[in-house]
Amino acid sequence: MKVTRRDLLVWSAGAAAGFMVTPVPWKLLDDTSIWSQNWPWIPQPPRGPVEVKQSACTLCPQGCGVKVRMSAGWPVGIAGVSTHPVSRGALCPLAYGAHQLNWHPQRLRSVRHGATASSWSDAQKAFAKACGEGRIVVIDGYPGRAASSVLRTFAQKRNGDYRAVFGSDARSLAPYENWSGVPASALGYDLENSQTVISFGAPLLDGWGSPGRFTRLWAERAAGMADPQLRLIQVEPSLSRTASRAWQWVPLRDGSEAALATGLARVLLEEHLVSAQGPMPPLTLAQAADQTGLTSDAIRELARTLVSRPPVVAIASDDNPAIAALNVVLGATGARGGIVRRSKHSDVNVSADAVIQNARAVLIDSTVPWDFVPHTDAEVFRFAAWDGGSGKADWLLPAPGFLEEQTDVPAAPTSAVETYAVAPALVKQPAEVQSAAQFLASTDSSLPSSDSIIHSRCEDLFRARAGTLCGLETTPLAKIASAQKLEEQLSNGDVWVAEALHPGSLRCVLKEWPAPAGPSLVEDWSSSWRAPVLPPLALKLYRESSLRKPPEGRNA
Amino acid sequence: MSARYGMVIDLDRCTGCGACMVACSAENNVPSLPQATARTGITPILVRKVSNGMDGGARHEAFVPILCMHCEHDTPCVKVCPQQAVEVDKATGIVMQMPQRCLGCRYCMTACPYHARYFNWWDPAWPSGMEKSLNPGVASRMRGVVEKCNLCHARLHSAQEKAAASKKREIDMADYVPACVEACPTGAIRFGNLADKNDPVTQDAHSPHAFRFLARLGTEPKIYYKSKEAWVRALAEPNSSRDSEVHHG
Repeated sequence: MKVTRRDLLVWSAGAAAGFMVTPVPWKLLDDTSIWSQNWPWIPQPPRGPVEVKQSACTLCPQGCGVKVRMSAGWPVGIAGVSTHPVSRGALCPLAYGAHQLNWHPQRLRSVRHGATASSWSDAQKAFAKACGEGRIVVIDGYPGRAASSVLRTFAQKRNGDYRAVFGSDARSLAPYENWSGVPASALGYDLENSQTVISFGAPLLDGWGSPGRFTRLWAERAAGMADPQLRLIQVEPSLSRTASRAWQWVPLRDGSEAALATGLARVLLEEHLVSAQGPMPPLTLAQAADQTGLTSDAIRELARTLVSRPPVVAIASDDNPAIAALNVVLGATGARGGIVRRSKHSDVNVSADAVIQNARAVLIDSTVPWDFVPHTDAEVFRFAAWDGGSGKADWLLPAPGFLEEQTDVPAAPTSAVETYAVAPALVKQPAEVQSAAQFLASTDSSLPSSDSIIHSRCEDLFRARAGTLCGLETTPLAKIASAQKLEEQLSNGDVWVAEALHPGSLRCVLKEWPAPAGPSLVEDWSSSWRAPVLPPLALKLYRESSLRKPPEGRNA
Repeated sequence: MSARYGMVIDLDRCTGCGACMVACSAENNVPSLPQATARTGITPILVRKVSNGMDGGARHEAFVPILCMHCEHDTPCVKVCPQQAVEVDKATGIVMQMPQRCLGCRYCMTACPYHARYFNWWDPAWPSGMEKSLNPGVASRMRGVVEKCNLCHARLHSAQEKAAASKKREIDMADYVPACVEACPTGAIRFGNLADKNDPVTQDAHSPHAFRFLARLGTEPKIYYKSKEAWVRALAEPNSSRDSEVHHG
């Protein structure tokens, strides 16, 4: 039989059509898609046993409770702990990507001296030499920890100074220290019992204090309610996130927060809206109105609104003394729902100056915000887990990253009750890094280790037999069998909570109206972040949406 | 019994913090690529800022999380997909995207009235070692496919496995919580089974302040929103309420 060109074409067309009705091409297409997802360069997640461990976030002093999902020994996900007495299951957006930080390209893994690579032994020699030649200043960004005790002890032994750098929320409590004699580190805001909160630019719904604490309170008692149980009044020049969600937004001229606080105090005293007797503010109502851009009637009405739903408390975005004085006039100091004393025993922490003189060496802990750069002629030894850029220190020393070191977690700076938790090291600390406390302990063998201090603090708590242990269940400490058991439970994510002190244990005396302060600084959660880098996933908020403006000075 | 998983998002509670966006990316192994922009990045849940268009003290703003609405009826993306890479799971009501089948034609992106679909322009990449931090329950997708919210399907699988292990046919809803719901600090995003009349989320979806975006299209989205503010509710049908000046930021 002769095969013609036509036969060949017909056969080919038939074969092609027939092939299409078989599963073969579709199967090939499907397989190609699957194969193309498994190229060697496509990253594969770790395989291994999955477990969930509890710890505390140590990236800022708030110490929020975190649930860490671990796979093959590596953290692969972060979530909040709903039973945590302060954060109550909420975290800031940055924490959800914190488990990726240890692999950040800017992770510091070697000692640097200036622009050149160096070694730990060289750093130790240089530090020992500097200590022998003059005064040393040690700067801590998260005072109250066991590691802080090591830093403080070292500074005291060398006749040096121990200084601390505080966040804006902690700084807002500083004025009360002068007026009451109680250290600011022992004070807190009793927001759980407040009914009216007037915030002078403090980002209460955008990461102020423990991010979950006020947002949870607001969500339960205020969100979407025409007449909320918790009235949030936001005083701020622009419509911030907090202002947009507040019960009342009071827009005023930039930098005139102190003038408004003074004007409000004047109305409260003149119209006898409060029982407090205090020095009459120097500013008249008309002057306050002129400076703030509000009308006198608006300020008078705001003052009446404040006292119409007590307890009321004013919160400043920094250490503005006029706003603190308003709290004294409102009777909010040493009162339920106001400023309370949370601890009987607290260290006085002196704030670090930006200018450090007459020092031979400055040692900066990794908890100090990267933005803090002391102006000094001294040799600077700076610990950091991530390198935010050169020019910040003479010596840059690699510190443990996220969850790589066991640390204890004292109460959050604005907490109304004393708490204590332990954040265990969930990830093995790399050999090439060490914390400032470990470094000092290797320099001076007489110093105690952080772990031994945590151990002794647990023993002290156990001996006191006071307070409760909050975990899946709330257990009175008196029912815990031993100090070892207490430490074990704390290391597994439980939090010790002290009994609240009587509000009257704080008494503030305002002898004269404080001098006016400069304009308030408005911050959000990204500015309280201590590390110089942000988690890569958090950068999606800035790069891939118009939700937020990128924070200055934070690298990808 | 078939479920119809859905959400009610209370816009009066949303503070626009963005925790849902970060938690979603971490859960679903969405990379953060330096070259990605607001146009080319992948954000299965995207929080948008909107205002009432006024100035000064009269200005009001709200934050609106936008994700796949999991349309129940005449699902636009399903209808246009030439590869059958999108389907509505009859057992859950979840609109599923199968990257293995997707050819990247992007018809579905054009068809989606909510702009809730994203094209994967680049192979996933993380800095060296960071692949150890990926969620083992979710495969990373290659470039050239369309991505969207699948209501954290890996978490549904885990809940189903847990139910099966205890010889139960139905999952415990406490075991199935999408990442954005878990991360929301104010409880603005609530998740539940809309087929269950006793589910609080179902009851919330029928509140007088609840609404759905572009409900007039008749696609029966399973993501409900809620607000007591009339100007926020007017966002639902922007073309039909021209008097209400709404500005998207």
